[in-house]
Amino acid sequence: MLKINGLKKSYGDFHLDVSMEVPAGMVVGLVGSNGAGKSTTIKSVLQLIRPDAGSILFCGNECGAGGSLLTKSEKEMMGVVLSDSGFSAYLTPSDVKSICAAMYSKFDKNKFTALCRDLEIPERKQIRTFSTGMKAKLKVAAALCHDARFLIMDEPTSGLDVIVRDHVLDLLRAYMEEKEDRSILISSHISSDLESICDTLYMIKKGRIVFHEDTDILLSRYGILKCSEDQYNEIDRQYICRRIKESFGYTCLTTEKHFYMENYPKLVIENSGIDDLILLMEKGENVS
Amino acid sequence: MNIIINSSSMVPIYEQIVESVKKSIASGELKPEEALPSVRGLARELKISALTVKKAYDQLEEEGFTVTVHGKGTFVLSINNELVREEQMKELESDMQVIVDKARRYDISMDELKDLFRLVAED
Repeated sequence: MLKINGLKKSYGDFHLDVSMEVPAGMVVGLVGSNGAGKSTTIKSVLQLIRPDAGSILFCGNECGAGGSLLTKSEKEMMGVVLSDSGFSAYLTPSDVKSICAAMYSKFDKNKFTALCRDLEIPERKQIRTFSTGMKAKLKVAAALCHDARFLIMDEPTSGLDVIVRDHVLDLLRAYMEEKEDRSILISSHISSDLESICDTLYMIKKGRIVFHEDTDILLSRYGILKCSEDQYNEIDRQYICRRIKESFGYTCLTTEKHFYMENYPKLVIENSGIDDLILLMEKGENVS
Repeated sequence: MNIIINSSSMVPIYEQIVESVKKSIASGELKPEEALPSVRGLARELKISALTVKKAYDQLEEEGFTVTVHGKGTFVLSINNELVREEQMKELESDMQVIVDKARRYDISMDELKDLFRLVAED
């Protein structure tokens, strides 16, 4: 669906250099700390900024640094939610409906109305009276109603409470279930969101992809070891990739927790979530 | 069919799904030729990655419990109960082998092990 190869963009001393792929039928997550380059990557794909170099293939068409502008039909294939933009505060969701229907040939007004009702968005109130959560829900609803093949979502769940987040994620899951060749590229800070929806994850740090793994492997094979200094020196460290010094010894990230469970039954081993992973990848020392 | 996933368990999620489906087949809750939920559908229900579900379905197919027809879905095969029983016995045998090996390593006699087994079995 989307293939990014050697995408480069520099802002002063910030250099982005990203290669990644969103295959058809997959939900791909983009994680990273603030300022790592997630939004820059997404904006490059949408041609909101001009990359310095690299190729971006969307459905086989080149639209990167040297490529052509996205055509209207290509734009209609995308559904987009950006983190720091929204609709004019003086519009009502009903106005948004008319505008989207004029912009997208396949926009389904009935679906939009049904979604608004489902998400408890009042159709006839001005957006300026909306809470953060209601604005975020409206953005997602607007992106889902024109039968897009590809959703690009830059932090669609930020600022939402647990219940609304779960609801939004369920909409995305339903979107994926409807047709097989749909894909989503989603960035988020909330790791539980990503764990529960993404099929594969890219982690970006200082403009570079530092980690790429399927969520399934991440949750089933990766783990956290907690060991004293003595234990650390004794164990076979071939499957340890990062460590952080602690008062009791070391916290380590392993790519094969079952190896350590079988061979060192006395070690404290925990399942690792995406939060642990980000922390260890950002702050841990490289062991190899 | 109800599948309950324990996400804090050390048992990989796909294995938990495989076990649940096998149990449902063994108990007759899932009948031969019945369709399993779609990959995306189950992923949505369980709030897990579709790849995890796919992996579980692949394993079920590999072990001969189901068959996947491309574009149609995954279906339960009619299975030979004796074969299932045999599989289960084999599985137990290999689990026990691990225990016996461990006992030898720790220098625990077979009689002690039998006592221990009785103790656990009575619980």
